[in-house]
Amino acid sequence: MTATGPVLAASVSHARFDPYADAVTAPPVRFLYRLNPLAKLLAPVPAMVLLVFVRDAATPLAFLLLSYAVLLIGVRFTRRLALILLVALPIGAAAIGFGFSLWTDPSRVDQSVVVWQIGSWTLYGGALAVGFATGLRIAAIVALALIAGLSTTGPDLVRSTVQQLRVPYRIGYTALAAFRFVPRFGHELEVIRQAHRVRGAHGGRGPFAAIARWSGYIVPLLAGAIRHAERVALAMDARAFGAYLDRTERHVVPFRTRDVVLIVLFLAATAAILWVLPVPG
Amino acid sequence: MTALERDPSASARTSPPGVAVTPLLRLRDVAVTHQGEDAATPAAVTFDIAPGEVVLLLGPSGSGKSTLTLALNGLIPHAVPADVRGVIEVDGRDASVTAVAELSTRVGMVFQDPDAQLVTGTLLDEVAFGPENLRMPVADVLARAEGALRRVGLWERRAENPDRLSGGGRQRLAIACALAMGSPLLVLDEPTANLDPQGIEEVCAALAELVAAGDRAILLVEHNLDAAIGFVDRAVVLDQEGRLVADGTVGAVLRDRAEELHAMGVWLPTSALAALRLRRAGYALDPLPLTPDELRAALEDAPNPQKQAPVHTSAPLEGVDSHADVSTRGGAPADTEAQDAASPVIAVRGLSLTRGRTAVLHDIDLDVARGEFLAVVGANGAGKTSLIQAIAGVVPPPRGSVHLGGLDVGRTDIRTLSSQIGFVFQNPEHQFIANTVFDELAHGLRLQRLPDDEVRRRTEALLERFGLTAKARTHPFLLSGGQKRRLSVGTALVAGAPVLALDEPTFGQDRARADELLGLLRELNREGTTIIVVTHDMQLVAEYADRMVVMAGGRILAQGPTAELFSDAELIEKAGLRPPPLARALGGLTRHPALARVARLSDLPGGA
Repeated sequence: MTATGPVLAASVSHARFDPYADAVTAPPVRFLYRLNPLAKLLAPVPAMVLLVFVRDAATPLAFLLLSYAVLLIGVRFTRRLALILLVALPIGAAAIGFGFSLWTDPSRVDQSVVVWQIGSWTLYGGALAVGFATGLRIAAIVALALIAGLSTTGPDLVRSTVQQLRVPYRIGYTALAAFRFVPRFGHELEVIRQAHRVRGAHGGRGPFAAIARWSGYIVPLLAGAIRHAERVALAMDARAFGAYLDRTERHVVPFRTRDVVLIVLFLAATAAILWVLPVPG
Repeated sequence: MTALERDPSASARTSPPGVAVTPLLRLRDVAVTHQGEDAATPAAVTFDIAPGEVVLLLGPSGSGKSTLTLALNGLIPHAVPADVRGVIEVDGRDASVTAVAELSTRVGMVFQDPDAQLVTGTLLDEVAFGPENLRMPVADVLARAEGALRRVGLWERRAENPDRLSGGGRQRLAIACALAMGSPLLVLDEPTANLDPQGIEEVCAALAELVAAGDRAILLVEHNLDAAIGFVDRAVVLDQEGRLVADGTVGAVLRDRAEELHAMGVWLPTSALAALRLRRAGYALDPLPLTPDELRAALEDAPNPQKQAPVHTSAPLEGVDSHADVSTRGGAPADTEAQDAASPVIAVRGLSLTRGRTAVLHDIDLDVARGEFLAVVGANGAGKTSLIQAIAGVVPPPRGSVHLGGLDVGRTDIRTLSSQIGFVFQNPEHQFIANTVFDELAHGLRLQRLPDDEVRRRTEALLERFGLTAKARTHPFLLSGGQKRRLSVGTALVAGAPVLALDEPTFGQDRARADELLGLLRELNREGTTIIVVTHDMQLVAEYADRMVVMAGGRILAQGPTAELFSDAELIEKAGLRPPPLARALGGLTRHPALARVARLSDLPGGA
């Protein structure tokens, strides 16, 4: 493969994350695609903030179930969705749960149940409970964020920030153009690493050598990045970007009654979960 | 491209400029001085462009052609600070005080790098981007976008991500974006410089169709004249200092003043260069042919010159006048091929390589003799880069598949390899690791733990060799493009490697700089360095390489002497390549059979 030239750099990005991917066509029951990106982003925010402060396991579990229900109904069921919801998130939560159980100060937890004892070291049931509550909280926050993340395209999010939040379009569209830089720089970094390796600039093993090695990549990467950014800016200017205070918008991303309904329902659900569950401690 | 309507009145544009037509563009004594520089390039440019005219802007590197194009739509001085003197009027508006956005509806721009012109996620959004910025109603935006995409033949692919297009496709998209601005003048700055031969052909075909329709004026800066010469009416030439020296029809400028332009450092079409040489040898070629077809026709009409000049044909491993030093470079003249096969410097056996899950090389066998100048050619994705990366150990090949000077590349660490083979990447900046030019060169020697005074001595010798002594304390990134390239070749050779591998070293450069680099490589080759180069530029291959390897689909399709392979039209076609212009002009000449197998300019009679 002649995968070396800037001309071909873009071709490596196909398989990966595509911020420009088209909105998927899905049956009406997959309702999340039909909602405003900002509504999907904002509706779970109160719940996410709340999750930062709760300490029990039931609340995050309830929100986790809520967001799973929303995602499984509202987003097209694909292999990717299944992998994220049924594999990645549970494994992540379990790993964090065990990690925190080991890390928690044993003197500050409920010591009535002993789970495991090695010599003088004891893993108490209380520590396990604290750890898994933390794991569940993080998993719940991630799942809530996925509601917008799995059903929104990059351009639509930019459009709604411009249309509803009144973010200047010059900022929004420049940010969108910057997405294009990501795979390009990834590829360029790879070539620079190869090139430095060929020069014998490996410098040995260990963290300090690694830092020295990576700092050597910065200058060529930045030089390339700045030059590229300048060129893109000129090309955008040459096509009248920023000429007026606003620009024609072919894709209107409306904020409709259904978006208000989503936010209200989500707030109601958040309140209901708080109401129903007994306040711990 | 079915929607394209050829305008029968297009021939009207060939009327001489300035006859009762108001010029679209009017330049008077234009001089541009970039911030922080003393001299203005361009320094004095005066010409007009009438509606529908197609103008080629020529000049040696550094004459300010790109700068001038940026000044035409106000990017200079509005976006790039510079001092602009003289008059630039676009459709009656003074460019120095009119906003870029307003000028953009008069002057559409296409730049060199197709990647640096993409903003959105689909072809349709991309073309609509400009009209949207102009606040046009949605229906008009769509109408313009459709019209523009249809004209470059991309309408069917409107919903795709521009990433999925080839380089040529992306550049056609950039042309569509410029068309959608509705501007009567299109300015293209080296639009084919970053493309492979197929992409160049695509873009030139798209431009030729635009010209045929006749509704837009075009100003084209292009170094690949072989492709562009077919559709331009007029040529404007700047000299080294950026002053206008010629302005007239292609015939009046390129045909009648070719010698003068060539002496000035302006690159001419290969066929014109060949014809100039042949004229000196006594062939009657008047008017001067500019395209392969013209050259062939002119030669078929021309009688043999009175005094027959000797004709060299390039034999393998035989430079133009390198016969004398063949013996000094490790003994690899053509007639001892059998003997060389016993001890090639590089031996590849059954090399297969996969990247990710894709097989990129299949069962490659290749020998490279000591002292060879080998070119690896093929279409995009043929496996050229993978092959030389595996040979140089940049990508570790399977054990036992590549032997380099007795080492098994798959088992050898990169530091040991660097004393056996130097690898030069496409972008020299990627390889720079030190803060001064001196340290950059010294790095390879210090890795070998040589004593300080020897490092100094050898580094200084190399600086001298590559003309970088005055720049020893400069940061490598502050060198000029040509100096960076020389330095990257120097760093690859400093450890004493007898083999040098280069990946697309002339990509994105103009012909003058490409020629300078290849000249350096030829010198190194004559001093004994084995050179392997991957390139898309077929004329450079024909000009410099002894032997070439033609690749397709990860396999070697053919290998052999350059001229021999280029004369096999079927093979070249099958590999998705194009024969170089000279071979196209001379191949199968009936009147001068002695010329029919010449592929190198330097093998033509009439050399100085």
